[in-house]
Amino acid sequence: MSAAGKPSWTARVREAGVRAMPPERLLPDTQPAYMSSWIYVFGVLTIAALVIIIASGSVLGLKGPAWWHYTGVGHFFNSIHLWSVELFFFFMVIHLWGKFFMAAWRGGRSRTWMSGAIAFLISIAAAFTGYVSQQNFDAQWIATQAKDGLNSTGVGAFFNVLNFGQMYTYHVLLLPVVVIALVSAHILLVRRSGIVPPLPLGELAIHSPTADPTAPGATGSAA
Amino acid sequence: MSLAAIINLNHPASYVHWGFFQMSVSNLVVIILMIVVFAAAIALPFPGSRRRRSRS
Repeated sequence: MSAAGKPSWTARVREAGVRAMPPERLLPDTQPAYMSSWIYVFGVLTIAALVIIIASGSVLGLKGPAWWHYTGVGHFFNSIHLWSVELFFFFMVIHLWGKFFMAAWRGGRSRTWMSGAIAFLISIAAAFTGYVSQQNFDAQWIATQAKDGLNSTGVGAFFNVLNFGQMYTYHVLLLPVVVIALVSAHILLVRRSGIVPPLPLGELAIHSPTADPTAPGATGSAA
Repeated sequence: MSLAAIINLNHPASYVHWGFFQMSVSNLVVIILMIVVFAAAIALPFPGSRRRRSRS
């Protein structure tokens, strides 16, 4: 409380934060019964792969290209980084398919869907800049093949795939920051809106806004 | 000690051609594997789900 009796900006931010994300929603201790399916585990598997990517990438960044090319442990971390990226996309695509076929944008969850879709697209760019940052012939081949395609779109003026320093900065700093921010927002939005329930049976129910128990104004209660 | 790859990778990638469609075998294997895992995730029962259903 400020001297004038008005709540200070920190109090206002805190109250807005608690209003938007009550603690029992942020860290729930129960989950809906409809989540008893393997299709619901692929989101958290994607996050687990992302954690391994960041951890192994941090080690690679600290040790440098000579280490990851010429030492046994360097090869090991290089492989961990590559395979965690493979698993990240593997799990993320199955998560995407699952959410697409259950129309996961229902019930006011469009921002959750969009944040996930944009995170997917930015992740592709992050993976691409990793391929051209390897410092080997593979990286040179990919960069020289990609430059013509990218230059034809007009982005070549500020996104030069033949510039290692620029690609490496995109790969280890700019794009990871965006991916982590989007994934964080995605998780918070999932916590805020809840996990989307399965599609109701019957076409009439699908087109009825009140059939979704989590839709704004719905009369039913969520499981 | 260095470990060799399980399969011999010391050759150009194999590709499948189907009209205008062209894809490396490795990419095709990953896509088929994703479809199989997706189908299995929907079809296979989740541990504990049957017990919970019978209780309700």
